[in-house]
Amino acid sequence: MAIGTIANLNYWYPGSAEPALRDVWAVLEDGFTVVAGPSGGGKSTLLRVLNGLVPHFHGGRIAGRAQVLGFNVIETPTRDLARSVGFVFQDPELQTIYSTVDREVAFGLENVGVPTHVMAGRVEEALHAAGIPHLAGRTVRSLSGGERQRLALASALAMRPRLIVLDEPTSQLDPDGAARVLTAVMRVVEEGHAVIISEHRLDRLLTAATALVLVVGGRVESADPASWRPPSAPSHAPRRSASGNEMWSLEGVAAGFNGQPVLEDVTLNGCSGEVVVLKGPNGGGKTTLLRLIAGGLAPLAGKVQRRPGRIAYLPQNPTALLHRPTLRAEVRLTVDRSGEHEPPEDILNALGLLQVAERYSRDLSTGERQRAALAAVLPGTPALVLLDEPTRGMDVAARDALVRLVTRLRERGAAIVLATHDVDLTLALADRVVQVSSGTAFERPVETVQA
Amino acid sequence: MNARAVAAWSSTCLFIVLLTTNPAYKALVLAAALTALGTGAGLRRIRGWLTAVTLIAAFATLLNFISAHLGATVLIELPPQIPALGGPYTLEALAFGLVGGITIAAAILSAAPFSVLLASHEVVDALPAALSRTGTAIAASLNLVPAVATSFVEVTEAQRLRGWRPRGPRSWSEIVVPVVLTSIEGSIQLAESMEARGFGSGPRTAAKPSRMQRSDWSLVAASALALALFAVSRIAGWAADWLPYPTLGAPAIDPRPLAACVLLFAPVLLWRSGR
Repeated sequence: MAIGTIANLNYWYPGSAEPALRDVWAVLEDGFTVVAGPSGGGKSTLLRVLNGLVPHFHGGRIAGRAQVLGFNVIETPTRDLARSVGFVFQDPELQTIYSTVDREVAFGLENVGVPTHVMAGRVEEALHAAGIPHLAGRTVRSLSGGERQRLALASALAMRPRLIVLDEPTSQLDPDGAARVLTAVMRVVEEGHAVIISEHRLDRLLTAATALVLVVGGRVESADPASWRPPSAPSHAPRRSASGNEMWSLEGVAAGFNGQPVLEDVTLNGCSGEVVVLKGPNGGGKTTLLRLIAGGLAPLAGKVQRRPGRIAYLPQNPTALLHRPTLRAEVRLTVDRSGEHEPPEDILNALGLLQVAERYSRDLSTGERQRAALAAVLPGTPALVLLDEPTRGMDVAARDALVRLVTRLRERGAAIVLATHDVDLTLALADRVVQVSSGTAFERPVETVQA
Repeated sequence: MNARAVAAWSSTCLFIVLLTTNPAYKALVLAAALTALGTGAGLRRIRGWLTAVTLIAAFATLLNFISAHLGATVLIELPPQIPALGGPYTLEALAFGLVGGITIAAAILSAAPFSVLLASHEVVDALPAALSRTGTAIAASLNLVPAVATSFVEVTEAQRLRGWRPRGPRSWSEIVVPVVLTSIEGSIQLAESMEARGFGSGPRTAAKPSRMQRSDWSLVAASALALALFAVSRIAGWAADWLPYPTLGAPAIDPRPLAACVLLFAPVLLWRSGR
């Protein structure tokens, strides 16, 4: 049974000459639909059509027809569709309104005027359906990213919608958090909800999917989830043993915040022409370790040493870097400051961003922004490269481009440290792996990282 | 603790501290606000607030001391040729600045319970139905405030490593612009999330309607009594004003407005520690 039909749909964001969706024809069936495609292809825009955020919230120009669960979404405001279509966004931090779990789940019910005496039951039911009854009564601030995403799922389920739409709900999570979210999603599917999800981690989803929609360059086509295969993981570069000069070292280092140590007695080093990958759970201290090496955080004890040279640092939140009017200007700023003469086109080309070089970086999709931030820090030949979760929100092609770029930097003699949950990236690049968890950091064989 | 009772107490504190110029009453309001917060939240939780209001009060004091060259008791004197800073520095200007600092600190700490002691939904629940939508939007946006501070640290660190150095006011645009843009984007994403969950679709209900307990009514009564007593004291002339210029003198103190200020300590008895 079809739950949605889209006919000859074209959509332009405000101020954009190019349509984000073009000539879209699609029939969305009841069941479990996976939406796949490269970053910036239009997946998020398509999903936002399903609950009317496009065009009602985002504005812009729309032409064609879109009907979901009997509603004409071009004429029905999102707030009226909220009872029928639940939506879970990418960022777990930016979709919670209240400070406690129960009240957060009840927020939507309050908005649509559900009587007070039935709310507690609906909240409990939703928490169970999302697999998080144990979180009742907790403060939102105390939840991990994965728990927050399941809370967002529970909040959507509380409205008892016919359709749940999830926009890359695991893109910001560590593997454990992502697995738990996907388990909760699969449970919702098994309970008979229609679910449409866009994701880059497709392996587990495709085996359960009843339909697959591919979105590329704003165009939409259907594919068979049983036979379609995503692009393969990046190839492995040959591993090296460190032979260059020592570029950075930590000796008996403790670090933390407000006097509370996050890391204690850490002794590590890294050499030029070497890739060190930091692995470990969220909150384990990977970012703290990167900031120590970068010099952005002073140690509470011990000694941190770095050889002089340019540092290229990608923070966990790429938007921290982006502020110039165009992406090209963003790269140019770093090139000019470094005193090197590499044209911005080199790195933009390497990261597949030449086509968006004249666009404002913050207008790009999540995956493209991540690459834009990489382009902003990595031009030229930095001596020390520190990247915090560089593949967040990236598709396989973009990750492959990153692998080639990092390999090139390594060959040029840069000392590289990556903090990443991405197993494919680790296997493709790591010369050494350092496990960072429970306040300690220790080296482990690369071979122990499981694909 | 009910947000309506807290609102009654906060409003009375603000009313008194802003209405009088008498430092004795202002200092009492500040002390009441401090002890109330300390009782409700514990000193550890309000350490950041204390640091912030101390800095703000110190700045206000210093600003008046160096800019108001009035008063009879000269402490030091700089040559008048020095632009802006030249002239006498007086005890009276210092005292007036200090009272200004106390006023600001008392006003901030009187309103602090809404942030420190109450959850955003408790504030929203206490609002009248006509204001619930606006209140929810404000409560949601307040959730983003800590993110701005985090963003500032993150952006400064990232731009510094990219070669940025503070060189005059214009150079700060590289920090301020990304921080502001990130905050705006966060607000937009939050608004999008609220819209997707039916915000603004009609009359709202509340999962847990606001209910006043006996201790809340007691606080409202104490606050109302303090408000009435101080207002009458003002009208009757018992709560005398104070001005340090031209020569510093002790403020006049009357037991009736003093009693009104003492009533503001009611939360110490009514709020349990450790919330």
